[in-house]
This record gives sequence, C-alpha cells and structure tokens, in this order.
Amino acid sequence: MKNNGFVRVADLHKDFLMGETRVQALSGVSLEIEQGSFTVVMGPSGSGKSTLLYLIGGLDWPTSGSIHVDGEEIEKMDENSLAGYRSSKVGFVFQSFNLVSSMPAEENVSFPLRFAGIAPAERKTRSQNLLEQVGLSDRATHKPTELSGGQQQRVAIARALINNPLLILADEPTGNLDSNSGLAIMQLLSDLHKSGKTIIVVTHDSRIKQFSTNTIFLLDGKTVSEQTYRQATELMSQP
Amino acid sequence: MRFFDLVSLIFYNLSRRKGRVLLTAVGVVIGTAAVVVLVSLAVGLRENATRQLWGINDLTSIEVYPGYSMEKMASSSSVMVGGGGGPDSIKYLTPTAIKEIAAIPGVKRVITQDYLNANLDLVYGKLHAYGGVIGVDVTDLADMGLTAAEGTTELARGTAVIGSWITRNFYDPKARPDDPPLEPPQLMGQSVKFVLIKWTQDGVEIKKTMTVKIAGVLAETRGSADGNIYMRLDEVTAWNEWSRGARINRNKEGYAMLIVKAEDPDVVIEVADKINELGFMANTPQSYLQGINSFFLVLQIIFGGVGAIALLVAAIGIANTMAMAILERTREIGLMKAVGATNKDVLSIFLGEAAGIGFIGGLGGVIFGWGGSAVLNLVALSYFASQASANGGLPPTMAASTPFWLPIFALAFATVVGLLSGLYPALRAATLVPVTALKYE
Ligand SMILES: Nc1ncnc2c1ncn2[C@@H]1O[C@H](COP(=O)(O)OP(=O)(O)OP(=O)(O)O)[C@@H](O)[C@H]1O
Ligand SMILES: [Mg+2]
Repeated sequence: MKNNGFVRVADLHKDFLMGETRVQALSGVSLEIEQGSFTVVMGPSGSGKSTLLYLIGGLDWPTSGSIHVDGEEIEKMDENSLAGYRSSKVGFVFQSFNLVSSMPAEENVSFPLRFAGIAPAERKTRSQNLLEQVGLSDRATHKPTELSGGQQQRVAIARALINNPLLILADEPTGNLDSNSGLAIMQLLSDLHKSGKTIIVVTHDSRIKQFSTNTIFLLDGKTVSEQTYRQATELMSQP
Repeated sequence: MRFFDLVSLIFYNLSRRKGRVLLTAVGVVIGTAAVVVLVSLAVGLRENATRQLWGINDLTSIEVYPGYSMEKMASSSSVMVGGGGGPDSIKYLTPTAIKEIAAIPGVKRVITQDYLNANLDLVYGKLHAYGGVIGVDVTDLADMGLTAAEGTTELARGTAVIGSWITRNFYDPKARPDDPPLEPPQLMGQSVKFVLIKWTQDGVEIKKTMTVKIAGVLAETRGSADGNIYMRLDEVTAWNEWSRGARINRNKEGYAMLIVKAEDPDVVIEVADKINELGFMANTPQSYLQGINSFFLVLQIIFGGVGAIALLVAAIGIANTMAMAILERTREIGLMKAVGATNKDVLSIFLGEAAGIGFIGGLGGVIFGWGGSAVLNLVALSYFASQASANGGLPPTMAASTPFWLPIFALAFATVVGLLSGLYPALRAATLVPVTALKYE
C-alpha cells in the first residue's frame, strides 16, 4: 500500500462560481502516483494543472471526488487536520517564490517550523543544513531582494523541505527563471527525487523529461493520453 | 504554535512596519492619556473634598437634631390661624424620644448634648476669648471618639476639655494694631475664668464668674470639635438655667442635640434612616461622604467616558491599519497556511498585532497621562498654595491623584480596545482560503 498509489485521486471535480457562470476547472480527474516517482503535469493554460496541484496539497476543497495521500483522505479533513497535513506531509514550491520579503533567507527557510512548535535553536541548524543542500549557505542572512530569481527559488525549495515532507508539489517552479537557472532548479528537484521524495511538478519546460518518471496530460480539466494530448496541442498550435 | 514563537512573530511583524504602527498608536496614546489624566483629576478632586470636609472622623456616630416637620408645620398653621409653626410641629429630643432612639436596633449608645445659651467671655490673665461651650452627658470624651493631645479626655466637675483651635481665639483687648501677633497661650492645666453675662429687663448687666480648670486639649480633628469647649452637661444646664432665670423642662423642650453611636459603621446609614423616619433630623458623616462619593463617581465616569471616546476613535484607526495590513499581506497569509499555520495561528497573530498596537499606545498613554497629572499637580498646587496663604486656609495637598489601579486598568483597556478592533480583520484573515490568498495580487 505504501509503495503503490501514494497519491490517489478519484473522479475529482472542481467548479468555480463566477457570479452566474460555473467554471469547471477539473471535471472528473482520476490518477495514481507512486511513492518515489517524479511526475510531470502538462497541459495548456487553463487546463486545471494548478487547481489539481493545490487540491492535492490541501490548499483548497474539491467540489466532489476524493484525494488520498499516504493513506489519508484529505478532502474529508477539517481545517486543523488539514493544517497538520500541509505542515508534515507536503512541501510547496510556487512559481512566484512567495518568500517573506523582510526576512533573511535563513528565516524564510525555517518559517514553517514556527507553526510546528520547533525551538529557535533547532530551526536555525535545520535551515542552515538545507541552505547548504541547495548551495546557498553563504546567503543565509540575505533578504529575498538581495538574491537572484534562481537563488530565491532555491530558498523556497529549502523551505519546502524543512518539515521533511514525503511529497513535493511544484507549480511552474521555473516559470519566472531564465533557462539556465530553470535547469538548475530542475536538477535540484531531481536530486530530491533521487533522495526518495515523491515529486509532482507542473511545467511547460520540456527539458524536465530527462528527470521525470511519468507524465500526466490535462486537457480542459480531464486527464488524457499522450496521443490525444499531442493531437490536440498540434491542432492548437497550427495557424 | 508555541506561545513564545507567537509573541516573537507578533513583535517582529510590528517592528517591520514601525512607522505605521507608531502613527496608529499615537491615537491610543492620546486616548489613554486622556483617560488617565481625567480620572486622576476626578479622584484627586474627591479626595480633596472628603479630606477637607471631614478629617479623621468617627464613622459610627450620628448627629441627631430636633425634627422640624414641614407637613406638620403646614397643617398646624392652617388650624392655628396666623400662628406660624407652633411648638407641636417640632419633634423635641425629650427623654422619651431618647428612649425611642436607643431602642433602634444597631444603636450602641445615645449621648445627650446641650449648648451654653449665654454670653460667655473667657478670661486668662489679660487675654480674652470667645468660645462655644457644649455640655456632654459622658464622663469621658473618648466615648465620642475624641482623643487628647494633652491631658485627659475625662470630664470632671469644674473642668473643661478644649478643642485644638480654642487657644487661637485668645486676644489682648488692649493690644495696638502694630503689636506683634500673639502667641496662643498654653492653657493645659491652667485655670480660666468663664464669665457669663445676662441683662435684666431694665438693661442692668449681671455677671457670673466661674473658674474652670483646663484638664485636656483635644487632638486636631479638622472638624467641629476643634472649636468646642466640652464640659459636663449638668454644669452647662445649671448655667443655662441661671441665664434664663427659670428651670428647664427636658420633657417639654428636650436637648439641643444627641450623638447616637452605632454598633458598626455598616449600620450607620440604616440607623440614621430610622431616626429620620421617627421625625428627627439625623446627620452622619457617612451620608455626606456617600453623597460626595457618588457625585465624584459620576464625575469619574463622565471624565473617563470622554477619554474612552478618544480611545474609540483610536480603535477605528487600529481597525483600519489592521485591515490594510491584511490586504497587503494576503499572500503571506496564504503562505502561512500553505506551510502549516492553523486558522487559530493566523487569528492569534493578527489579534496579537492589533492588541500590540493597543498595548504600545496604552503604555505611552499611561506614561504621558502620569506625567500630565504630575504637571497638573505642580501647576495647580502652586496656584492653590498662593491662594491659600492669601486667604489663610489649608492648601489642598493635590489636584490630580492617580490611584494605583488606574494605569493598570488603562493599559489593559487600551490593549483590549486594540484586540477588539483587530477582531474583524483578523477573523477575515484566518478564514481566507489558502489558494485564494496565494493568488491575490
Ligand atoms: N479562483 C478561481 N475563480 C474562478 N475561476 C478559476 C479560479 N481558479 C481557477 N479558475 C479557472 O479554472 C481553470 C483552471 O485554472 P488553473 O489555474 O488550474 O489553470 P492552469 O492549468 O494552472 O493554467 P496556467 O498554465 O495558465 O497556470 C481556468 O479556466 C481558470 O480560469
Ligand atoms: Mg497554473
């Protein structure tokens, strides 16, 4: 059970109500992701990639369907258990980094530990270790504005790792970066994958293929086969 | 989240936007300072009023005078055409009345008093003085709560115990205006001549002189006792009868005044009410104090209310600042939730920040308010002192008085005001859906 279906999503629906109109972001997504895999989620803009990732990360509630992660049924959790789930099981990496601009790198990395009741001394050692792991030990006291985009994303990845989660969710982590920095971030995610983390990445960057173990294709809120996906995207890209 | 981490995060969040926090806190400073100064002033005024009117006074005694009933006066005057208030309308303090009063539950003792109703000249050597003599039906003035500064409080035949200010009444009738002011004589243990004067119907002056030994001088009470000369009641009665030339019938005209001692200060008001119901006039320092206290309590509430309004305005400022902060930090809130903050954590952080602004402002307000009261005292006291030395009265010891509970209360109040004004913004922050917050631009 542990090794199979680490993330199981069944008939997942997510509707957004925009005044009168109902936007179907996800309309019946089912998938299974094994523990220790490196999964890429691909799809055109608006296909529901981010929505799916956020639902798996427990940052939003589905309209219907179920989400199991590591044996827990997260859509049935109350607010408090969900906070515990976000704290202990998942690490989030965002396209726009979402660092606290007034805090130095070290404190940004250890920020989640404040809510986990970890003492300051341990927070410091843990964040120093992680900054070393992402190659930024000499930038510990720098604020986000004093770091490059690639460095900021490394800080964000270190933050995602601070609670030692099994699952890393990254929504277009290279979207705001130049291609070299982007590749370095992908490399870093791959290293994490090799160290045993389960990774789900939403990206448009095809270079991710060399690192990933499997790919999920989304079209209009539904998972489709690679073939269907290729046909549809070729149609779209034709003039 | 551990409490220490919560507090340090709140502190950090406040310190990273110092300018705005301080500006918001200024409103709270003003409101709190206003509360502290105005309430201190009200408390100070009350303390002055009570101190000046009643020094240390015996809180178990009730002064009882004959009752003059308005109703009875009105009805009797309608019967006795043009007769005015007849004697029937007065409730005299007769021996029967005294028994009635003594029977009221809670009464420990009834002391009868009468004034000397004659012209009296006190003579000591070449010095003369005036003074009111009161005959009291006790053997020891200690029973009335009086203490001696010199000598005794016991009243023996042929002796008097005098109030602390009596010696100041002595003057030299032959002194010239440019003579140096007289030192009050030391009367303790001395003999003073009491000269009673009356006139016959033909206008012939008759004098009666007694030698009275001053057996004691009372400690200062800052009350009426300071100006009294106390003697035995039977002696004063005899002098009154001499002055009038007729016997006094106590069953008809009673005594001038009674002092009723209650068993306990708590029952004094109750006993006084009963005596009033019987038709006599009862006065207690307590009922007076009660009136003063309730007046100043109202003053305190009004003054405090004015300050509280200033605080309320400040509260709106806090609410506004917090609402702004939450808008600006929406993504941060989303992030906090994404990394494991519970709704309670987020609520506590923002409530804590709002309370923190209230606390900082309250602290400043207490310091300014305290300082303001001190300055007020300095200014007012130097003014009153010059007034008092010009008028020869006692200067008040203070204008504003800050009771120890006031700064604590004001600080707590400011903090609670901050907390409450942060309630709505903080609740909104806590219940944000993480995704929505993270997407906020
Ligand atoms: N909060 C929201 N309110 C209304 N509609 C929303 C909301 N969030 C997403 N949607 C809609 O849901 C659909 C899926 O959005 P989603 O963000 O998941 O797309 P995406 O695949 O991540 O796109 P992109 O590659 O551009 O990031 C879109 O049509 C979007 O307009
Ligand atoms: Mg997206």
